[in-house]
Amino acid sequence: MPDSQTVLEMRHITKRFPGIVANDDVSIDLREGEVHALLGENGAGKSTLMNVLYGLYRPDEGEILIKGTDVELGSPRAAIDRGVGMVHQHFMLIPVMTVAENIVLAVEPTHRKVMLDERAAERGVREISERFGLVVDPHAKIEDITVGQQQRVEILKALYRGADILVLDEPTAVLTPQEAQELFAIIRSLTAQGKSVIFITHKLNEVLEIADRITVLRRGKMVETLEAKGATEAGLARLMVGRDVLLQVDKKAAQPGERLLVVEGLEAFDDRGIAKVRGVSFDVRAGEIVGIAGIDGNGQTELIDALCGLRAVAGGSVRLEGRDLTHASALEHYHAGLGHIPEDRQRRGLVLEFTIAENIALHDYRSPPDSRLGWLFPRRLVERASRLVKEFDVRGGGPQTRSGGLSGGNQQKLVLAREIDRNPRVLIAAQPTRGLDVGAIEFVHRRLVEERDEGRGILLVSLELEEVRSLADRILVLYEGEIVGELDPSASEEQLGILMTGGGRGHEAAA
Amino acid sequence: MSEDTKGPGAFAEPPEDPSGFGPHVGASLAERYSVAQKAEGILAPILTAVLAFLVGGLVVLVTTGKNPLTTYQAIFDGSGLNWLFPWVSGVERQTAALNFQQTLLIMTPLILTALAVSFAFRCGMFNIGGQGQYLVGSFFAVWIGSSLSGLNPYVHVIFAIVVAMIAGAVWAGIAGFLKATVGAHEVISTIMLNWVAIWVGMFLFGLGGPLQNGAQSDIPISNDVVPGAKLHVFWGDPEFQGLSIGIFIALAALVVYWVILNRTTLGYGVKAVGFNPEAARYGGISVSRNYFLAMAISGTFAGLAGALDILGWQFHIATSDIGASQIGFVGIAVALLGRNTAVGVGLSALLFAALVNGTSTRNLDPSIFQPELASNLTLLIQGLVVLFVGADVIVLTLLRRIRRRKPAPV
Amino acid sequence: MSSVNASGAAPKAPTEVARQLPHGFRIVAWIGIVLGIVGAWLCLPPITERSWVWSLVVCLVAVMLGIGVVIRGERRFGGFAIASGAIGFAVAYLATLSSTGKLETVVVWSALFAATLRYATPLIFAAIGGMFSERSGVVNIGLEGMMLMGAFFAVLADDKTDSWIIGLAVGILSGGVAALVYAFFAIHLRADQILGGTAINFLCLGLTGYLYIDIYGTEGTASNTIQAIPDIHLSFLDGVPFLGPIFAQVNLMIWLALLLVVVSSIVMFRTPIGLRIRSVGEHPRAADTVGINVYAIRYSAVTLSGMLAAAGGAYLSIGFVNSFGENMTAGRGFIALAALIFGNWRPYGAAAACLLFGFSSALANRLPEYSDSASVLFQALPYVLTLIAVAGVIGRSTPPAADGRPYKKQ
Repeated sequence: MPDSQTVLEMRHITKRFPGIVANDDVSIDLREGEVHALLGENGAGKSTLMNVLYGLYRPDEGEILIKGTDVELGSPRAAIDRGVGMVHQHFMLIPVMTVAENIVLAVEPTHRKVMLDERAAERGVREISERFGLVVDPHAKIEDITVGQQQRVEILKALYRGADILVLDEPTAVLTPQEAQELFAIIRSLTAQGKSVIFITHKLNEVLEIADRITVLRRGKMVETLEAKGATEAGLARLMVGRDVLLQVDKKAAQPGERLLVVEGLEAFDDRGIAKVRGVSFDVRAGEIVGIAGIDGNGQTELIDALCGLRAVAGGSVRLEGRDLTHASALEHYHAGLGHIPEDRQRRGLVLEFTIAENIALHDYRSPPDSRLGWLFPRRLVERASRLVKEFDVRGGGPQTRSGGLSGGNQQKLVLAREIDRNPRVLIAAQPTRGLDVGAIEFVHRRLVEERDEGRGILLVSLELEEVRSLADRILVLYEGEIVGELDPSASEEQLGILMTGGGRGHEAAA
Repeated sequence: MSEDTKGPGAFAEPPEDPSGFGPHVGASLAERYSVAQKAEGILAPILTAVLAFLVGGLVVLVTTGKNPLTTYQAIFDGSGLNWLFPWVSGVERQTAALNFQQTLLIMTPLILTALAVSFAFRCGMFNIGGQGQYLVGSFFAVWIGSSLSGLNPYVHVIFAIVVAMIAGAVWAGIAGFLKATVGAHEVISTIMLNWVAIWVGMFLFGLGGPLQNGAQSDIPISNDVVPGAKLHVFWGDPEFQGLSIGIFIALAALVVYWVILNRTTLGYGVKAVGFNPEAARYGGISVSRNYFLAMAISGTFAGLAGALDILGWQFHIATSDIGASQIGFVGIAVALLGRNTAVGVGLSALLFAALVNGTSTRNLDPSIFQPELASNLTLLIQGLVVLFVGADVIVLTLLRRIRRRKPAPV
Repeated sequence: MSSVNASGAAPKAPTEVARQLPHGFRIVAWIGIVLGIVGAWLCLPPITERSWVWSLVVCLVAVMLGIGVVIRGERRFGGFAIASGAIGFAVAYLATLSSTGKLETVVVWSALFAATLRYATPLIFAAIGGMFSERSGVVNIGLEGMMLMGAFFAVLADDKTDSWIIGLAVGILSGGVAALVYAFFAIHLRADQILGGTAINFLCLGLTGYLYIDIYGTEGTASNTIQAIPDIHLSFLDGVPFLGPIFAQVNLMIWLALLLVVVSSIVMFRTPIGLRIRSVGEHPRAADTVGINVYAIRYSAVTLSGMLAAAGGAYLSIGFVNSFGENMTAGRGFIALAALIFGNWRPYGAAAACLLFGFSSALANRLPEYSDSASVLFQALPYVLTLIAVAGVIGRSTPPAADGRPYKKQ
């Protein structure tokens, strides 16, 4: 709208990193009081663009205008001085310090410049908190408050320093749906008071709910800026990906057989002693893919750890083909016929300094033919690895290549190769396509379906709802450590969403 | 299931270890120095050594005004390395022979204390406790070696060596156990254990101590090792610290080190934990067990060093020896320079043994350079080696620049 | 390395145990600690009870209080109470075994406390220095070397200029220089900090030894040409029975050390600069994003730590023994580090630990009147205590979250 003031313009921004152009001639503008969504897939360049705005990166080309003035933003300090505030996806908060300390950090009120004026800090925090309706306790330690409250502290941090432009980077990734609604209310109140918000996300439904305008980025380039009114999810998806998105994987109907994995009343705690798995029961049959859907933080990691022997089971039982594995070690799980594709292939799946052959042997190096009585036979390792490299089309090197030299997709293939070759009865796949390009994703999906057709039982745990819906034969929804429902993959996103957010159980989304 | 560690808020991951010497950014210790290993091969250690000697020479020049080259030459002669040159003959050759025996005598325990550091390094730990483990090994060696006279010499020697190795293993095992169970950082615990070992030794062999010499009650020294327990000297004069067969045992230890790491399942586990403890755990490998075993095996090497010294040429311990011994610390520099490989450690041990011997009061010509000064120079060079390895980026950057000048394919 | 990760905080408010324990439990724990000390004191001069029964009762109460508090969650101080009770009774029991006469020669409280202050002072300087460095996120194992630099250069400058002020200033500066070198390697080059610190120790040891021998040869420094740091005489305390012998004539540096503890606590926890230092040590990226210069803060903190450690070393040489000897710090830098861990990276806690270690050194020095060999074993006490602390047995201490991790600005 031509009557609204333009508070920010980023013109022809280009930012290059070794081997990749993260932002390629991107232009975007922001009007006063507007919520402008920055939409794109992972790796599209959204965060990079905002980091340029926040002074964390210098653009190789292009300019930035704030309220009409050309500015050089060489550091976050400069950006803050110009009224730009950023709430990062991974909070920049110090857990052991209080809310007030975090908010006033680097702009502390002082007694005669020497001593910290704690009362003034508290007063300042309360004042801002009231003005914008963000309720927090200044004396609470960050590590003791909820994630939603922490996010409020981050917003307050920006506001305390006089931010007029607020950039929120994937803010709902860490929130429950209820907290997300609270956030939207806060955003609306902020824009009503004249603040302008840039909202980075890859979630289509949020964009339509909160944004006034939407800019879509794809592979570093700006695709289009459009009004939110009249936009559709399908249309946005097409802009984001560049082609019609195939949501379904080609597969036959499942023919489930006997029960392989039987989980009853499973309970487990996280590292801080909080109960994260609260009585989970389900089973996985031969020849089926069971998908576990849920929002991040509802106990998925603890569940997988408990199933695999990597975390102590506090209650309930886990049985694989009748064998009780509840308190067995991880190694015993592997020997009993469990396969595990961990969610972080670089930190948990592979020893990057090992060769491909050595990584393939990770579970079995202690038994023949890889070794006997403690003596290792490297040649056997290499033989097996050669076979698997061919079979799984792992590119980037041979059995003696250091695994760290492979691309992400090939590393994931390596993990798959290792797990599948051991002929597991049940395969647990955690976020198997995270960070992979489309080709690798298709490979993994296809392979999982093939293994299902071989008669294995597959448990897929993923945060990507589309992945679960397209692969799974049955979907279990995990919410706050419990299975709150079982749905057919043909169920609508709405139905799934309700279960994933705790609805449908008599819970009201309390204010 | 978030990308980072502790979850959505994703704060910096607090180290589990209560002393605070937490994880390093990104790579583990073993990971970081392994890249250097494979990428640059033998050039990196050579360049590191050259740099260290260069800086050392500069210190000599600046502080004493003496020509560093003649100083290094004198050290070289004192080390007996010139014996390796066939054109050296006559009296010069005889002196060189004596010096070289000395060098090899020092090389023997140095290989082992370096292996003690290297093996732990491969498991991602920094074992600074080699000195204490060495001492503990030597205590037991001297105790058994000086008692039980009349025992069959083979049995006696083997028994003493085995007990010393176990003692070293236990001493290091304490630190390994603490790390495995409560996550205590091995740097602090091994340093503390070093000092405890020293004071225990002072107590044992001091005046009135339980293992003090029975015959000479006014000297804080241990009993002498009985002739039956002494290692066979095959080169030089047994009365004048000739070279014992200990050197072969030490060289064999290099082979054992390589074999364990590359041909056994134990070595596989140790390396996996060293490179990526989390992946190892997910793979079903017991991380704490490997921490403990790696430390214990490290201590075994160091304890063996103690035994070989006692049974090979020292034959007793005085409290002054305990305070003066530095062999465990030199081993750290040796291990780092040798990039924790068997061959590297062997060559590096030779270099440092030559340096230590060449700068000793006996072998360095005082008219060219004062020996006490020279031994401190050795310390400086050691420090420089550790520094340059620690800041491997210096050496690596230099190498990359050198490589770029040459048109040869990498 | 953390291999067991949680995923995300609970979606709703945490239901965990509140972190702020009722203050009452800590007070109870302190009562237990005091009771343990009282229990020991009962059998020592001047009371010198000959039966250990009363001590047993008192110490048992202390232990039970400790256990009670530990169960309720106050692990750290409860553990101290249990330890105090156990050790207190052990001391009392041992005291009853020896003669009153001997006890009275050894346990002269005023002399012991005065000596405690003297032994603790270098530790306090180094520990507080270490605190600044570690609170900013840089592990400083090189405190030992920096202390040694201060000790040597203070003597050197004092000797040449006959002024203790210049000696102290130069000593402090030398520590700062060494720290700057370390800071460059650790912060700029992102070298492994443990290796870097070890290297600095070797370098400082070598450098000071080298220069010492070069300048003073083997005769050593003549103490009559070295002006000692003066004592401060408080005449109003002269006749006072207990406090007099302790506080009437105390070296300036000791007062400065105590002042330092107070000042550093205020700076660290009540000033903006302290807040920023701590933020850099906990979450450097967060600090960076609000515009704090992480590198500048870390450089300053590390340099300060070197200067303070050197001050402690200077006190050792020109305040305490009035001379220099090679490697005279003898591991004190590491003990200071241990005191820091013991004290949970807080000034008062670290100072308390330093006093404790100082006390054990003071006692060890009086024990030769009692039994020669026993006193030697006592010297190992600080190291054993540290080992226990590091093992986290006495409650886990929490270091700054980003301690030891090099920071890379993007």
